[in-house]
Order: sequence, then C-alpha cells, then structure tokens
Amino acid sequence: MDFLAIHILNALLYASVLFLIAGGLSLIYGVMRIVNLAHGNLYALGAFVTAGAVGHFFPETQSRLVFLLLPAGAIATAAAGAILEPTLLRPFYKRAEEYQLLVTFGLLMILEDLMRFLWGPYPLSASSVFEQLGSFTVGSAIYPTYNLLVIAVGGVAALFLWGFIYKTKFGVMLRATSQNMRTASALGVNVNRVYIQAFTIGCFMAGLGGAIVVPSQSAVLGMGVDALVLAFIVVVIGGLGSLEGALVGALIVGVFREIGVTVFAEIELAVLYLIAVIVLLVRPAGLFGRAT
Amino acid sequence: MKKEDVTRREFLSKLGVGTAAATLGAAAGVGVGVARAEEKPKGNIPNKPFRIGHMTFFTGPGAVLGEPMYKGNLLAADEINAQGGLLGKRKIEILKADEAAGTDANTKEMRRLKLSEKIDMFMGITSSGNTPALGPVAEELRLLTIFIDGCTDFLFDKAVPNPRYIFRITNIQSADGATCGLAVAANWPDVKRVAHIHPDYAYGRNAFDHFKIVAKKLMPKVQHVSEGWPKLFSTDFAAHITKAIASKPDMLMTSLWGGDYVSFYKQALRYGLFSKMRVATTLALGVAPHAIGKDHPEGVLTGVHANYHFSYPAGDRWPLNKTFVEKYHAKFGEYPNFQAEGAYTATHMLRQAIERANKLAGGWPDDDAIIGQLEGAMMAGPGGYVYIRPDNHQGYKDAITGFSKNVPEYPFPILDPARIITIPIRNITAPPGWPKGEPTSTYTWIDQTWPAVKA
Repeated sequence: MDFLAIHILNALLYASVLFLIAGGLSLIYGVMRIVNLAHGNLYALGAFVTAGAVGHFFPETQSRLVFLLLPAGAIATAAAGAILEPTLLRPFYKRAEEYQLLVTFGLLMILEDLMRFLWGPYPLSASSVFEQLGSFTVGSAIYPTYNLLVIAVGGVAALFLWGFIYKTKFGVMLRATSQNMRTASALGVNVNRVYIQAFTIGCFMAGLGGAIVVPSQSAVLGMGVDALVLAFIVVVIGGLGSLEGALVGALIVGVFREIGVTVFAEIELAVLYLIAVIVLLVRPAGLFGRAT
Repeated sequence: MKKEDVTRREFLSKLGVGTAAATLGAAAGVGVGVARAEEKPKGNIPNKPFRIGHMTFFTGPGAVLGEPMYKGNLLAADEINAQGGLLGKRKIEILKADEAAGTDANTKEMRRLKLSEKIDMFMGITSSGNTPALGPVAEELRLLTIFIDGCTDFLFDKAVPNPRYIFRITNIQSADGATCGLAVAANWPDVKRVAHIHPDYAYGRNAFDHFKIVAKKLMPKVQHVSEGWPKLFSTDFAAHITKAIASKPDMLMTSLWGGDYVSFYKQALRYGLFSKMRVATTLALGVAPHAIGKDHPEGVLTGVHANYHFSYPAGDRWPLNKTFVEKYHAKFGEYPNFQAEGAYTATHMLRQAIERANKLAGGWPDDDAIIGQLEGAMMAGPGGYVYIRPDNHQGYKDAITGFSKNVPEYPFPILDPARIITIPIRNITAPPGWPKGEPTSTYTWIDQTWPAVKA
C-alpha cells in the first residue's frame, strides 16, 4: 500500500514533466502548424542552463538562494525561442512541411552541439536543490520532497495555461489565429506577434520542464531527443495541437510507464508505443484531436 | 552440473580474487612512455606522417566515453611526436571521425578514411554495437585496427572469430559482470536477495548474465527478486528504484553508467535506497571519475568496467600510472578513465610493435610485420600488464574493482585504496580454444567448469 502511493506519485512526477514538454510542443503546433523537432533540445537547454548556473554560482551550498536559479533555464529557453521564431522559422511557414521538418531537425542537432560546446560532454548536476528539501516517509517508504514541487509546477502550469488561453484577450487572439490565420489577420490580429508569443510560451514550458527536472536527475547530452520521442507519444495519444490532450496524454503515459516498469520490465518502452497504437486505431486524431 | 566438495572461500582463493592494497612489484623495463634511451632505428625510414583514423563518440551522450578515449590517443601521440615520431621519423597525425553518425555511416566512414584519406591504421570505437559491424569491414579493407572498447564478447566469439587485422585493447565485456559477481561473493557472501537495474541493451544484458552465472556457482542461495530494464541514456529512474525497493532485496546490482548512473544515484539517495540495501555496480566510477559527487555513499561496490581507475596502482608503486595521470591531468584538466588508459596504451603498444619489427628487418615495417609483433605482445601500461592473445587478438589485463570512498585529496569519490579487488584475468575468461558458446564463450566456460560451492 505504501508503495502504491509512491508509484502514483512517481507517475504524477513523470506526467508533470511530460506535460510541460508536450504541452509546449502541442501549443506551437496548434498555433503555427509546425512540428518543432527542435523542441526536445529546447527542453535540454533549460536543463543545461539551470544546472550550469547552479554549478557555477552554488557548487556546494546549503543556501536557499539556489532556488532562485531554478527558473533560469526556462527564461533562457524562452529568450532563445523569441529569437528563433522570427529569424529561423518564419521564412518557412509558407513552404512545404518537409522544409519545416528539415529546419527544425537541423536546429535540434545544432542545439545539441551548442550544449556540448558550452558545457562539455560530462553530466551536469544541480542536486543541491534536490537534496535541500530532503525526503518524507509514506509508511515504510521514502519519497523525495522535491518531486512534490515538480508535480505542483506541472499542475500550476496547466492551470495557468488554461486560464491564459480561455480567459484572456490574448487567448482569444491565439485561438482565433489557430483556427484561421487569414481571417484573424483580416480582423486586425497581429499574427506575427501572436506567433512569436506562442512560440516563446511553448519554449518557456519546455525550458521550465528541463529546469525543474534537472536537480533530481542530471543534464546529459541526448536527453532532448529522448524527451522529444516521449512528447510525441503524448501528443499522438492526446491529439496534436490540443492542450487538454497533452495533459491527459501525459497522465496516461505517466501511469502506464509506471505500470510498465513495475509489471512488464522487459518491455517498458514498448508499452508506451502500444498505447499510442491503440489510440491511433480507435481515434486516429488522438483523444482530443481535431480530425482534419 | 557436477558438485564438487569445495567451499566458497577455497574456490575464491583458487581464482586469486584478492583484496589487496599492495600487490604489485616494480614496473617492468618495457612500458608505455618514451623516456627510455632510444635505439637508432635500422634502415631508411620515410618521414611522411603516420595517419591514424580515430573514430569515437564526439557528440551525443556517448561523448562522455569518447572524449577521454580520444584524449588518451592524443597524449600518447604527443609523447611519440615529441621524440620525432614513430621510429623517430613518422609523426602521428590523428583524423577524427564521429561514431555518433550511426553504424551504417560508420562503416562508410571507415572505408572513406582508408580509401580517400589513406590512413595507416584505425583506432577507437566505444559502442559494442559498432565493433561487430566495423570489424569485418576492417578485415576486408586489410586495415590495421586497434579497437579501444566496443568490448562485446560477440566480436571475437562470432563476428570475426579469426581476426587478422583487428585487435582490441580493453577487457572483454563478460569480465565485467563476472568481476562484480566475484567481488560480491568474496565480500558480501551473506547476500540472498538481489534486485537488478540494467540499461536495456547488449552491455546491460551481458552484465546481468555473467553476474548471474557467477552467483549461481558461488552463492547458490541467491534469488534474483526483481529486474528493471530502463532504456540506455534515461534520466528518470523513480519507477525502477521504487520497484527495486518494494522487492525487499538485500542487494541491488546495476550496470548503469555515465549520466544514467549519476541520475540514478541522486534519485536513489532521496528514495533511501542506499540505506536499505547494499549496491554493487559495474561501471559507476569507470566512465567519468569526476562526475560522481561526494554525496555518493561510501562502501558501494563501484566498478570501473573491470579495467582501470586512475587511483590504482597508487603513489610511486607503479610509476607508469603516476606519470600518465599527472601528464593527462596537466594537459586536459581532468582525470583519465579506462578509455583514456586504453587508447594511451594502445598507441604505445603500436609504437612498441613498430620498433620491434624494425629491429628485426630494418626500414618501415609492413602491416604483416607489425601484426606479428602485436600478436602475443605484452606491455606494462598505466593500469598494469596488458597481454594481446595471439589467437583472438583480444587484450587482457587483470580485472579490478573496489569500494567507493571519499578522500580529502579529490573532490569526488575514488576506489578505497585499502580495499582494491584484483582478479587474474585468465581465471574469469574462457581460455584459447574453448568452443564458442551462448550467450558468450566465457559464460559456458564458467557454467561447465566452475564447481558450485557448498553454500
């Protein structure tokens, strides 16, 4: 029973980080209709920036100030997004999808090499943040307190996004642009500004995912590609372009991965693909996807 | 399976599993490094550069192993070039190639390096997925090759059973799981319930198999109570850790390495795993010694791929290691791992073979003459003696592992100098002529020839 509680918390932890990554990916697709393959390494960038900053300013510390550095990765990634969208991506919106895939895939690899260049090939950790909060006990089991913070951040991000998109004027413009870019533009919406804002928010979420997860793990080369694949499983299940879908998809993946690891150790990865296959067979556009 | 009337203690002592702080004598006269008085090479030596194609991981998560490998090669080449080059004439030139391009692209690159770049030899390779693909290509191209790692038993068991042009310097993979198993049997014989977490690819499977076969022989009562198979290069192990703890083992065996191991131990600490069980690893301190923090628990059986840790042999006892570590640290600002030691030793072994071949016939030796000198070569490297078996071209050196310990001299844990475990390599690897077996020849050899001990 104690371990059941731990397994549930583990699943929520996984879902929380996945939502941050997949939510950003889905938002960007929903508004701009581009599949941003570089998204995985934007997540990794968040992790590297935060780990690099913590390692640089607080290598061995018990200072609580270190928590102030956590958002550094999210902010840096958002800034990168604000630069990348107008310079690199915008020229390709009117081109065929292959061009967008090539450009974003190229960007994925450039970002990987950039991180390798800036931080070297060895794993970076920011575990002083993780350690400071210690662990708490659930019956006979122990759980890291920091992970609750990660779960909370995922939850708050979901709420915040929902409010932002459905309760603000900007959200209306965003949805309008997403549904019909030309009409929105004709009605006076500054589409370019909406694009850059949406892309920046998507990057912020990815960066936040990396920044918040790195204290309990480590920043390593290749983590972005791994995350990208998982994020795709989430959006395939939830429906590309849907935030609700990203949330539900992340929860499904989180829960089934935990079950997979625990019960079907030999095929833990295959379990996730199987779920994606089943969803695609039953609802080809994903659970919340709009069939086009 | 025959039962022999032998106790665990007796059999371990037969195998020479030693926990010793001082087992080595003085360094032999022939070693790495070029400080000794050079004899003048015989005959005419051309002065055109000797080109080595060095392929390893320069990008992606494998760079954590690839980078030190390249650096080891570079350091040895610099030493040799400072003396004028190979045979005092041919400076070593290294051409880099990125192993991360993928197996198919790697074989093409090997061909290109040989045919277009006219490399004289090929070196490197980290992944066990790549050596079995590149080995046959090197044979076909007649390209003199020393693989540094990619240590799968499969290469010389199956892919290239009768190698001519290819060699490999670091210990064969099966030695790693077997070393871990023997170290556990010798130090924690009371272990009964073992949980496993291994990366889900060839290396993890190999470590799991060989640990299990050794445990079956030396700790017949051991039960394997849970298995976790995370994907290679994962960073989230919460589910695997929870599963392992829930199975109530008294020991966890893991072959996670690199960034995976760093993420794993940080999480395992906060989940209280280390306080609930002993932990035995195959590669924890082997990949990037400095990437493990002092928060890592002491007394963990921290493997170094059964190959090398820079802290052993320590001090002045084995000057080859002392000077190697000092030079490496001065040049790169970090400590060498087993890949760095392997590449460094391989480069000097090549030099030794060329010098010997020259002494016999004069002039620049052809590949056949160099191969003749590499087969059966023995050399003292930083980590100890390395022997190249003539039948399978595989390098063998005594296996080593130990326990993590924090010492004031280093900002990261090292192997406890008082409890280093060394095992003569011949006692844990299948001998020449042993029939090829499944999953490895060493596995069937252990299974068929080791006695099962009395409890």
